[in-house]
Amino acid sequence: MDPVPRRRAERLGRWLVSGPPLLYLVVFFAIPSLIMVLASFRTPGEFGGLAPLVEEGKLDLNLDSYARFFSEAIYAEIFLKSVWYALLTTLFCLALAYPLASLIARSSKRYRDLLLLLVILPFWSNFLIRVYAWMIILGPNAALARSVNGLLGLFGHEPVPLLFSSFAVLICLVYVHLPFMVLPLYANLEKHDLALLDAAQDLGANAWQRFWRITFPLSLPGVYAGAVLVFIPALGIFAIPDILGGPEDSLIGNVIKQQFLETRDWPFGSVLSIVLTVAALALAGLAAWVARRRLGTPSSSREAARA
Amino acid sequence: MPRANKRRWGLWIAAAAGYAFLYVPLAIVVAYSFNNSRLNAEWVGFTLDWYDKLFHNQDMIAAAGNSLLIALTASLVSTVLGTAAGVAMYRYPSKLLSVLVLTPIAIPEILMGVSLLIFFVLLNFTLGLVSVALAHIAFCIGFVAIVVRVRLAGMDESLTEAARDCGASPWNTFRYITLPLIMPGVIAGALMAFTLSIDDFVITFFTAGAGTVTLPLQIYSMIKIAVTPEVNAVSSLLMLLTLALIIIASRVSPTLFRSEQEAVS
Amino acid sequence: MKKLVWLLAASLLAAPAFAKDEFHLYNWNNYIAPETIKRFEDFCKCEVVQTYYSDNEELLAKLAAGAKGYDMLVPTANAVEALIKGNQLKPLDKSQLPNLKNINPIYMNTSFDPGNKYSVPYAMSTTIIGYNDVKMKELGLPTDTWAVIFDPKYLEKVKGRVTVLDSANELFAAALKYLGYSANDVDPKHWDEAVAVIKKARPYWAAFNASSYIKELTVGNIWLVHGYSNDIFQANLDAQAAKRSFHILQGMPKEGAVLAVDNMVIHKDAPRPDLALKFMNFMLEGKNSSELTNLIGSGNPNLDAVKYIKPDILKNPAIFPDKTVEAKLEQLKELTAAQRRLRNKLWTEIKAGR
Repeated sequence: MDPVPRRRAERLGRWLVSGPPLLYLVVFFAIPSLIMVLASFRTPGEFGGLAPLVEEGKLDLNLDSYARFFSEAIYAEIFLKSVWYALLTTLFCLALAYPLASLIARSSKRYRDLLLLLVILPFWSNFLIRVYAWMIILGPNAALARSVNGLLGLFGHEPVPLLFSSFAVLICLVYVHLPFMVLPLYANLEKHDLALLDAAQDLGANAWQRFWRITFPLSLPGVYAGAVLVFIPALGIFAIPDILGGPEDSLIGNVIKQQFLETRDWPFGSVLSIVLTVAALALAGLAAWVARRRLGTPSSSREAARA
Repeated sequence: MPRANKRRWGLWIAAAAGYAFLYVPLAIVVAYSFNNSRLNAEWVGFTLDWYDKLFHNQDMIAAAGNSLLIALTASLVSTVLGTAAGVAMYRYPSKLLSVLVLTPIAIPEILMGVSLLIFFVLLNFTLGLVSVALAHIAFCIGFVAIVVRVRLAGMDESLTEAARDCGASPWNTFRYITLPLIMPGVIAGALMAFTLSIDDFVITFFTAGAGTVTLPLQIYSMIKIAVTPEVNAVSSLLMLLTLALIIIASRVSPTLFRSEQEAVS
Repeated sequence: MKKLVWLLAASLLAAPAFAKDEFHLYNWNNYIAPETIKRFEDFCKCEVVQTYYSDNEELLAKLAAGAKGYDMLVPTANAVEALIKGNQLKPLDKSQLPNLKNINPIYMNTSFDPGNKYSVPYAMSTTIIGYNDVKMKELGLPTDTWAVIFDPKYLEKVKGRVTVLDSANELFAAALKYLGYSANDVDPKHWDEAVAVIKKARPYWAAFNASSYIKELTVGNIWLVHGYSNDIFQANLDAQAAKRSFHILQGMPKEGAVLAVDNMVIHKDAPRPDLALKFMNFMLEGKNSSELTNLIGSGNPNLDAVKYIKPDILKNPAIFPDKTVEAKLEQLKELTAAQRRLRNKLWTEIKAGR
């Protein structure tokens, strides 16, 4: 194929591939979001919703809601607490998901799809009853709480509530987000060339070295994708603290929800949401940059072998 | 078979722990669908009443049907669009696309729900199943795109280059070389999209029409009174049904589920 | 594959094509007896399409964003106020509501809807104390005062076994009543006092919970709640059904409590206001109105319904309060935007553990 038609084909290909998703997201995401971004500069309606945009011929835009966010420390406090919970969730998810994804990736073709489906199957049941199942597991009269408190009792410690606590919130957060760490990791681990590990073993590398110097660096894109798909949604969650959180487990997602419901302060809710979104994207970008600089992801098995 | 086999018992135990973590709550969910008590709180006795009640509950069944329909549609469309987006992010990276793909994941659901509702109302678009599906597709695309992108990262370009040198068109290159290579990523993305859609509450609440009930909407409205074991029953059945659908689909089109090794051979 | 896509598209779009005479009711879940719906469908020869919400605020948010298609809504009094002031309701054609005379006059002509231009009372509940009778007796705690929820000297004995509602409006109202003020008091100084009371009690509470507290109460994990009378009534039924050794009883605090009257209203863009009026008149008949009370133990503002209600429910002072208690019950009023903002700031601090 000579160069000019090839380039045109390239450009056509580019529009055909990036065009449809771009168009869809602009129409059904960007434009609606702009409505709410605009709302962050408006005043809340007296009885809900938003005050009219044009009041007596004047445009009613202000920075009041932003000023409120930056002037009251409580919102930043709650935000940081949510970042912490989301971070813990991501780390625990990674620890649990890695062995799962490795096992599935290395299984023979016959079992691989089944094992993968088994990971995601529980999540086709309703969220609420899964959380209720955790309430049963963590209940004060259930086996788990009784054994933990029995153990603590041996050391003279007061019984600790497992339910309605940060522990309950965290365990549920990890549970709910686990498949979103397993699936991207699996997608990456599945293409690792196991012959590479064999070669390393022949050269005298032990299991830990094989993992840390070959497998893990190669899996970094999967780790990063999983972390993004867990950390970011976990930042905005509100249902779990509502159902089984303790009196002090309110997260930023709960505060945002309250703005749209009880308080009917949509502009402030928009401000909080915008801050959350920008921060989440910034953290994701930062993590990507750090990963690239410090760990230097080799882009294929061949490069890793050279290392 | 790789020699690392013998040392894999550690991996097996850790993975088994992971599966146990996933399935203990699920076992409770299924077990309690047979619980002779209105509440999902304590085991009282065995009964099939709840399944019986479910089969006579038109509303719940219709809601489950709606959820399944929307989830199938949303995951289908978002997988297609998400795969395209993932490929685009890899081959033609652009800041705009990356931001547009990632932001729906970050944005709080309640904001997205309210904004989509306002948007649909402005367009005088009748709310119903379609508006919900459109909303679901919007937030699922990102999940699919990211997983497909993961799969593409570090892909061996020599195969695609060879195909092009042999005169294959871009579409054929994609269909016969790239797609099989990224298929595990596409499937993983589709599974995630389906899961997200079938269980979504907040966005669905705001974009649903006056007669539209999905399973999460039905169930969450029961949250303050009691979420009876009927919900456990419908969830268990829905899981089984979806699993059956997928197994049937994999039998019918085995080519979809081939892996990289098989594609190259 | 292509066939599947066409099938899916067809199913999604076909849904609205089969509409007949439809009456769209947007209501709380389990807030109307199935027999009543069936009887109404036979009566009006139409189909009742129900969708649900579980919180007034969800309803308000959805309508504020412009959602349409609902004929009838069932908001609580303060939400009715918000809807009226937001011009979201259709005025009622009283000539179609001859059964309106059945309603007890003390629930008519309210401050938020003088002359009942837009709303008609449907059912009521109070926000009171629910408790495990065996445990309360064991610990020697009173059950007729808010002090048992707020005073550390009582709370000590039930630490970690008490929940309160996850609602700023309800909890503030309870705290204000406990302090001897009106539940609708908007003096910021009084609010600060209420916040202090709440923060002092918070370490003893297990959770702020509006969704799963009833379950926990019935199972015996929680012994004392701040909750809705309907829910507590239901919890007792569940506890008896599970053959527990205790009862879940309702305690009406002597300082007074919040009364929530839910009203039937018609949305301004209702597609079938005629069916809505028919339904309203139908529900104003004593027999139809009584079915909900018999089902969930809700309060009933309909005098004609009394003869159909089960005697043990009629006798229950938390559901049918006598004159002295009635005098201490208050309906919550709407706050202004500035007041809501202040309350939310205080509430955020309370819930963040500050």
